[in-house]
Amino acid sequence: MHPARIRLIALLIGGASGLAAVEAWAFTISISPRNPRVIYLQIGVGSFTGLYNSGGSPAANPTVNVVSVTVPAAAVGSGTAQPMTSNTGATNSFYDNFTFCSAGQLYVGGFYRRNNSSSGPGATLTASSSSPLINAAGDSIPFTEIQWTSSGIGDTGAQPFPAGTFNGGTQTIGTINRNQWAESCHSFSYRNTAVVPAGTFTGTVTYTLTAP
Amino acid sequence: MRPRFLFVAGVLAWASFAGTVEATTFRVDDSATIPHESSATLRWRQIAPSRGGDNTIEGSTTVQVRLNLAPWLNRSGRVFLVLPEQPIGPVRVSWTTQGRLLPGQLVSGQRALVQAGPITSPVLDETLILKIETDGTRMSSAVRLNFHFEIDID
Repeated sequence: MHPARIRLIALLIGGASGLAAVEAWAFTISISPRNPRVIYLQIGVGSFTGLYNSGGSPAANPTVNVVSVTVPAAAVGSGTAQPMTSNTGATNSFYDNFTFCSAGQLYVGGFYRRNNSSSGPGATLTASSSSPLINAAGDSIPFTEIQWTSSGIGDTGAQPFPAGTFNGGTQTIGTINRNQWAESCHSFSYRNTAVVPAGTFTGTVTYTLTAP
Repeated sequence: MRPRFLFVAGVLAWASFAGTVEATTFRVDDSATIPHESSATLRWRQIAPSRGGDNTIEGSTTVQVRLNLAPWLNRSGRVFLVLPEQPIGPVRVSWTTQGRLLPGQLVSGQRALVQAGPITSPVLDETLILKIETDGTRMSSAVRLNFHFEIDID
């Protein structure tokens, strides 16, 4: 009889142990990211409270920047590109206040903030130049006559917003990868490939940063 | 005689084991604990991606804690808050209290002491204000953090 009793006791102990393991109390807190997407675009003049690398925050700036050139009469239509200059005076990066652009260049920069950065597309910067430059007489010059080079003081490697020429429509200027700040300085020039009437020609290019 | 001999040996082994263990850990019944909000919303600490790579999102929430300590009444022990490791990486939690539990902090995968000494009440009520931080770049959707309490009985 003794062996049978011992086995019975062992079974009871095993059952008690199993019951204890089932008791798994816990309280749950769900966490979720709020407003995970933030984008900032600065074309020319921008606004920032403080600096980005010290916890600063961007602000809205409605300034429309002007890039211009005066072509001497003797040079009109010569095919020699005419350098253009911007009126922005924005040469320092809000990234760290570093003097990134030279006078007369147009600062192009911004950042794209979002969660889950391990994969996925960045934010896309496009420019729309569908309406040509027009003078008071109604004569026009297509924006395809304006091109730019891209650089940045101290930069090496490819620019995030590389050199190009306006296409008279909507085109991609560059990409800002997730959780990165990207910036370039554009130096514009008028290609001057056609003889055009005298006058002051003005037009607007609209830059748009789009986050997926 | 052979079965009797084995039984005695088993008893001796158990006695030896019990003598070398200083504390035993038990899961505390916190089933009456209630978070005040259904979800804690975490926001970027820095709205711009920083040069130092600070991609922290942070937020806070309040939890009404009720611990059933009746099984250990009049015994001495140490109560810990525990947060297991999380698939989204380290989650840092700090909290303040009303004084019945200790304030503290922990990183997921760790436990932190919230009370030590004799258990004088079968039920312990406390309000914790939790501050939660994690890497926002690794968080694509809502995540459930399963906290629990455990007690070491001396």
